[in-house]
Amino acid sequence: MAISLATNAATDALALNRAPTSVGAQEVHKWMQDFNWDFKNNRTKYPTKYLMANDTKEQFKLIAKEYARMESVKDERQFGSLQDALTRMNAGNRVAPKWGETMKVVSNFLEVGEYNAIAASAMLWDSASAPEQKNGYLGQVMDEIRHTHQCGYVNYYFSKYFHDPAGHTDARRVRTLGPLWKGMKRVFADGFISGDAVECSINLQLVGEACFTNPLIVAVTEWASANGDEVTPTVFLSIETDELRHMANGYQTVVSIAHDPAAAKYLNTDLNNAFWTQQKYFTPVLGMLFEYGSKFKVEPWVKTWNRWVYEDWGGIWIGRLGKYGVQSPASLKDAKKDAYWAHHDLFLLAYAVWPTGFFRLALPSKEDADWFEANYPGWYDHYGKIYEEWRARGCEDPSSGFIPLQWFVENNHEIYIDRVSQVPFCPSLTKGASSLRIHEYNGKKHAFSDEWGERMWLSEPERYECQNVFEQYAGRELSEVIAELWGVRSDGVTLIGQPHVTKEGKLWTLDDIKRANCVFKDPLA
Amino acid sequence: MSLLEERRRGLTDPAMAAQIMAEIPDQPLDTQRKMGYYVQPRGKRLTEYEIMTCYTQPTPDWISGGLDWGDWTQKFHGGRSSWGNETTELLSSDWHLHRDPAARWHPVYVKAKGEDWRVLQRFMETFSAEGALRTIDPVWRDEILPKHLGALGYSEYGLFNAHSSVLRDCTGDTLRSTFAFAAFDKVDNSQMTQLVRTFIHKMMPGYDDSPAIGKKEWTEGAAYKSARETVETMWQETYDWNEVMFAVHMIYDPLFGQLVRREFFQRLSPAYGDSLTPFVIAGVQTYFQTTKAAMADIYHHCLDNDKNHGGFNRRWMHVWMEKWLPKTVAAMAEFMSVYATLPAREGFTDNASIAASVNRVVEDWIVDYANKIDYKVDQSAMVATIMAGLK
Repeated sequence: MAISLATNAATDALALNRAPTSVGAQEVHKWMQDFNWDFKNNRTKYPTKYLMANDTKEQFKLIAKEYARMESVKDERQFGSLQDALTRMNAGNRVAPKWGETMKVVSNFLEVGEYNAIAASAMLWDSASAPEQKNGYLGQVMDEIRHTHQCGYVNYYFSKYFHDPAGHTDARRVRTLGPLWKGMKRVFADGFISGDAVECSINLQLVGEACFTNPLIVAVTEWASANGDEVTPTVFLSIETDELRHMANGYQTVVSIAHDPAAAKYLNTDLNNAFWTQQKYFTPVLGMLFEYGSKFKVEPWVKTWNRWVYEDWGGIWIGRLGKYGVQSPASLKDAKKDAYWAHHDLFLLAYAVWPTGFFRLALPSKEDADWFEANYPGWYDHYGKIYEEWRARGCEDPSSGFIPLQWFVENNHEIYIDRVSQVPFCPSLTKGASSLRIHEYNGKKHAFSDEWGERMWLSEPERYECQNVFEQYAGRELSEVIAELWGVRSDGVTLIGQPHVTKEGKLWTLDDIKRANCVFKDPLA
Repeated sequence: MSLLEERRRGLTDPAMAAQIMAEIPDQPLDTQRKMGYYVQPRGKRLTEYEIMTCYTQPTPDWISGGLDWGDWTQKFHGGRSSWGNETTELLSSDWHLHRDPAARWHPVYVKAKGEDWRVLQRFMETFSAEGALRTIDPVWRDEILPKHLGALGYSEYGLFNAHSSVLRDCTGDTLRSTFAFAAFDKVDNSQMTQLVRTFIHKMMPGYDDSPAIGKKEWTEGAAYKSARETVETMWQETYDWNEVMFAVHMIYDPLFGQLVRREFFQRLSPAYGDSLTPFVIAGVQTYFQTTKAAMADIYHHCLDNDKNHGGFNRRWMHVWMEKWLPKTVAAMAEFMSVYATLPAREGFTDNASIAASVNRVVEDWIVDYANKIDYKVDQSAMVATIMAGLK
């Protein structure tokens, strides 16, 4: 082969110029859009009604080795803090008991979201046609593996050092027992991976990550540190550094479909559904975990929610996407109503079924009650009195034989579970926006608590067929279910879940539960 | 005001810390402190890899090994489930059984690759300072590397993309991380083929480092027709995630991939004065060996030996052999034509040397892959078929 003059000249120059050089990540990345090639059946295995552009770019222009180097540096800082300074300070134990229990839920449930986001990002990587866009989603696949392991590490760390390791040690096994689990799967698992690929991206990146990671991953670090927990901020703030890439991916997903006029027909409906799906669970659950799962309070959840969900996301973030035809979800105003009372409604139910948890719960203390009343006027008359009654009946003491679930039965307060969100609600006690609707379909009854979920179900009932805990456990005695689903500690008889976190209080056993003779009943049967 | 003073922290604020300490019991409430104590360890005791990875997949018990119960809370339009047994023909008594022999979880994986990157950058600085580019044969540098290292980059990139649906659909957590790391290595490999040429361009500015030459060879060249079509079929036409991984990692890559990477670039580069390409390919081969061990655990240790479904799985693996092996052998035979474009080098480009190369690849594959599932292959016939492509 003939050597070009330019090549010859350059080769000669080498004899004189031997300056050390190497290749940077950007110099490789700039060719990435050319890595693809066209072929007959080059199409995704996960069809979307949207058309993703072939020339979409990514904002974080990384190659594999540079990604690894960058993440490895972050890991060194994180694990260095955890394994050195925090361990020497015994920081894993010096955490307010209620908060240490809260982290059993937060870390494990976030882990599920991160794990499912691996599959979700992979689906988007499959759906995108532009190599840079694929690369952005690939980076997220790897991040989500990282976050899965980081969340697991928080439970792992607390397993070793926290004074109540039960639940941290076995959350992945016992989490399926309680009524909060299925709803968590809807928002953090199936909502990310089952549907139109772009719809899933909207759920994961545009809502889950752009909207709720601020309250979930950032706000939780403030609550954690106030309650003595420096483990969670060390890990979660490291997670958050990757979330920016994911928000950028969500933005680029919208950019990639915006050129298609047909996108306008679907985008805002999908965004509205995704927002309602995510907020329906996160709004009450996060508020409940923060306010009822802490000793020291940071700020009322409703303020956090207004700042990050309503103003920052619904206003600023969605506003930036306005040029692509994106509008704030119509359901945002209804969600705003839920941000005030829904978490109080949920804690009432969560405490009532405390034996099905993999964490200890505690009734609001006198200080808590004062704080609630000061920040949510009217709280005491509606909720506080009920807790006082339960406490007076000995709900914390195994010898009382009283489980608050019995109080609901005695007072004809029926508890339903929303078929679409899987979030439990009690229509006769709620102060939030929930209201009961029941439909019958294929010989089975379905309960709903709001019109947005009801609409989703009416459009596509085949997507929301999951049975709930009351249907699954109907007719079975509570202690049997707990034993079958591993809800006991290493002695084989003491429950992982408990209705108090006091040093002096006795721990409930399977026999205590059996004496209460609670039998599950399906309210729709 | 310092950051520490902005908000009082429960660990460091004396009053808050005292209140917290007063609530902490003197003795732990449970003696079991081992997270994942119910996980069956592969070795004597649970590794951190197993603790972090096992049962992160929230599948119900009707997918073997799952710990959850009931249905999916949201399904695809039309009602297809989130994850399901119907996504693969293979059966398992426990989809959580697999263990990566390298025990890789995320920090372990990125630490190793990050170190590879630093070593590679130091190597490039040394290589350029040494003026080592001067020793590379111009035909190898200007013809072979742009065309064929470039084409290899496309093969690796296509294989990388074959993993996307697998990562979406596979039914186990240890499987998912193994497949993800294998995918990431593949895109890394394709980027490294680009890096070699970009590095030459930086040392020799007249050198064309665009991927266009390799892309033309990959999409239009006769040497890659079967390879390209095989990769395209694995990537976009195969829906069974186990079949995709079996075709990629148990057939195509240990045969075609090894022929091109190890026997062509790794073996021949020194003959043309090229010490750059073997350095980069050595990293690629490290990834190949790690992946090979992990895939052997999945398809040999777990699925072929499955206590309930091993025989059934083996029959399917044989079916896939029948489907993908001829395509791969055809790809290797077509690749033989590349040897004719090389400047002759005794002991490297003569027919006997090339046949020895092909024999090494085929023999390795028969021993490490075919024999493991009792799939009969005539080594001589297979080598002869491949060698028939030699012009």
